[in-house]
Amino acid sequence: MPAVQETIEQVRKIDVDQYKYGFETKIDTVKAPKGLSEDIVRFISEKKGEPAWMLEWRLEAYRRWVNMTEPTWAKVDYPKIDFNDLYYYAAPKSTEGPKSLDEVDPELLATYEKLGIPLREREVLAGVQGARVAVDAVFDSVSVVTTFKDELKKAGVIFCSMSEAVREHPELIKKYLGSVVPQGDNFYAALNAAVFSDGSFVYVPEGVRCPMELSTYFRINEKQTGQFERTLIIAEKGSYVSYLEGCTAPMRDEHQLHAAVVELIALDDAEIKYSTVQNWYPGDKNGKGGIYNFVTKRGDCRGDRSKISWTQVETGSAITWKYPSCILRGNESRGEFYSIAVSNGWQQVDSGTKMIHLGKNSSSRIISKGIAAGHSQNTYRGLVSAHRKATGARNFTNCDSLLIGDKCGAHTVPYIEAKNNTAHFEHEATTSKISDDTLFYCRQRGLSQEEAVALVVNGFVRDVLQQLPMEFMAETQKLIGISLEGSVG
Amino acid sequence: MNVAVLKTKAEQALSEAFSGAAAELPGSSEIRKLRLDAMGRFGALGLPHRRVEEWKYTDLRNLVKEVLPAPAASKGVSVADIEAALGALAGLEAHRVVFVDGRYEPDLSALVANEDVSAASLATLLDNDTSAVELLDVSGRDDDAVLALNTAYAADGSVVDIAPLATLDKPVLLVFVRASETPAFVAVRNVLRVGEGAIATVIEAHVTLPKAARDFQLNAATKVIVGKGAKLGHVKVALEAGGGVHLSNWLTELGPDADYAGFHFTASTGLARNQVAVTFAGEDARIDLSGAFLAREGQHIDTTLVVDHAVPKCVSRELFKGVLEDHARGVFQGKVIVRPDAQKTDGKQMAQVLMLSPDCEFDSKPELEIYADDVVCGHGSTSADIDDDLVFYCRSRGIPEAEARALLIESFIGEALEKVEHEGLRDALGELAHNWLRRIEPARSVA
Repeated sequence: MPAVQETIEQVRKIDVDQYKYGFETKIDTVKAPKGLSEDIVRFISEKKGEPAWMLEWRLEAYRRWVNMTEPTWAKVDYPKIDFNDLYYYAAPKSTEGPKSLDEVDPELLATYEKLGIPLREREVLAGVQGARVAVDAVFDSVSVVTTFKDELKKAGVIFCSMSEAVREHPELIKKYLGSVVPQGDNFYAALNAAVFSDGSFVYVPEGVRCPMELSTYFRINEKQTGQFERTLIIAEKGSYVSYLEGCTAPMRDEHQLHAAVVELIALDDAEIKYSTVQNWYPGDKNGKGGIYNFVTKRGDCRGDRSKISWTQVETGSAITWKYPSCILRGNESRGEFYSIAVSNGWQQVDSGTKMIHLGKNSSSRIISKGIAAGHSQNTYRGLVSAHRKATGARNFTNCDSLLIGDKCGAHTVPYIEAKNNTAHFEHEATTSKISDDTLFYCRQRGLSQEEAVALVVNGFVRDVLQQLPMEFMAETQKLIGISLEGSVG
Repeated sequence: MNVAVLKTKAEQALSEAFSGAAAELPGSSEIRKLRLDAMGRFGALGLPHRRVEEWKYTDLRNLVKEVLPAPAASKGVSVADIEAALGALAGLEAHRVVFVDGRYEPDLSALVANEDVSAASLATLLDNDTSAVELLDVSGRDDDAVLALNTAYAADGSVVDIAPLATLDKPVLLVFVRASETPAFVAVRNVLRVGEGAIATVIEAHVTLPKAARDFQLNAATKVIVGKGAKLGHVKVALEAGGGVHLSNWLTELGPDADYAGFHFTASTGLARNQVAVTFAGEDARIDLSGAFLAREGQHIDTTLVVDHAVPKCVSRELFKGVLEDHARGVFQGKVIVRPDAQKTDGKQMAQVLMLSPDCEFDSKPELEIYADDVVCGHGSTSADIDDDLVFYCRSRGIPEAEARALLIESFIGEALEKVEHEGLRDALGELAHNWLRRIEPARSVA
């Protein structure tokens, strides 16, 4: 299999804990004063030129957040975060005011090029793979540019930054923002609702199949800043959209906070496919630095026969706390969750999903693969529940963990709640290390120990990788190789 | 956020009742202090509620609204009454030790103490033996409010000692009979100590006399210590009738090379919580925990297991099967912990439930917490109604639908019952399950 050979080469040429996206872009920025207060919320809202109702919405979230306590139930351990020692807004100076791609600071464009995300449409078109992906590039607190907007507009699809959506499409924002993840949903969601700075907005009208993949690329650049983006995707009746999300950050000694909220709404017969390749800076080999990734992602299958599918490849972040979920409200709606979480070094991952069956004959599938190496802790935490009225609900869950080395931990915490007898739930999970027999077999065929591990791991995660859009597949197979480097021998 | 915890009526009553009851409880001053400390812990913890992770699905604060008084002395309970209450278990040849409303009744018991086995009354030991404090001690489990309550209130129970290398000819049957005609709260503490290389079966049976009050509260805890190379079959059969609360706690510690087969058969009414905590203290030990629970009407049966692989090379197996009818609720929480050095651990866990009515509910949380890499651990959980195809197959062979369903359920439960090694006991449990499914009394031991 050529992909495996590629992985093996990737593993070979990259040194231990090399994080290739760790560079920093030197650029002038405008920051909000340090700390968090109602004034900061007003500051952010003003910077964005938001209407009064939006500010009021933020303030309400802030007032709720002040009275909330940090959740401690996740299996992660970190020093208490001082929420007043952070910058909640940082934007490159050059992004102020209206812009076309030509006006964007060349430094920024170079950054994205370095990350392998071409923002100029003609370059994208000239790309080797020939696949076209519309990109919304978010740099710290602002969206730098959104590509292919005009072409998408022709199809009726709205793809823009959240700030723009608040200005241009207030009726949609008022109707849908916070309708899946309300302001007071949880501590980090409330924080996000108060200070969210940018993110992507997607609206696919009735019956439209989005002509290209949409994607957002998140980059944290500034020191001591948190990134709080908010994404809202609405798929009207019978529409389809596939959305990819990528994230990276510079290498720093300090921990940085990323608290995002993603809301998906699928109406009758609509389908949303949401893929994430999360590669935030994971910290160095001693566990110093790295991103705290505390994210609330939730999809609402509001319409009958709607479908939401989450695919995630988690290799970065010092701490991950995220549970992309589906509320299966519509009859015969379907939720899917495919996840690979690779943890190395001192990373801590507590991730999983929630499948809440409310509609009749709704179905869901969960495939989760956790790979723990080094000193990392990797937890799958998931909920599958069927409401009394969700007759005929079906779920299949398979969560496997692989341990590499004897200093790491892999944990599974599933919650399964069946409230009616026509619900059919199956859950299985296994934890094991790569068996000596398998490794021996590979080595006997001439593979080195590391090549053999890469081969087995790639086989182990194949179910999930197959769900990723083609553009990401090659990339993620490389990621798997990188993250496992140094874990053998 | 530290707010003063408001005590519920039941919590207050338990704390207040203790000061009155303390003087009556057996034990020296040292034991009295232990009880007082336990009560202090309970006072701080309160009754477990849904915000306490381990009690997420069984909210005692909500389910236990008031506290019942100590039982009045029941007179005139005869051996025949007990036989009748035992139902299918009566025919079992065993060393029988009987407790009526939590008090040891030597006259109703039939245990000839010999060099292989002895069963003493906890109350007697606490009063007479200075070293008996360890029987009540549950240090290391300080966060369990129900266990703290047990330590504080336990008035009696059985202390069973099986001599090293002894092989018991018949099982020890501890019978806990509920006879009180007024609603009562009973706390029982048992201790099973199995000497090195010994082989034994101990059964705890909880039954009710027909005249007993409907309402009851039982808090039973059993400390189990299985010595090196010993083998213990430990079975609890809960068949209480009425609408009470049955809280059971097993704390098992296994020595090296020990073999422990624990089984819970629960068909009692009301609320039942079976908690088992197993700790491996020596290598090469093996446990096989399994059980069957049958619930209908508004019953609530909770099985909560914690298997702690603290040392390498141990094997654990868990298989629990449940049948839920009407608006019954089943809960399964199984946690397998594999500590950092517990390499070569082999753990498997499975919970399966048949949900036979639209209104029943099953909540399952099979949890793995693994810190060692050279292990094989797996768990599974399934819940569904009976497969229509299977029923159809039986019907096409001429078996009426009701009978077909009963047969299928019986074979489903049978898989768990197979785990009971003692043949006579296995058959008796099969009969109890058979009767329960066909609503034949005295499935629940009502004579």
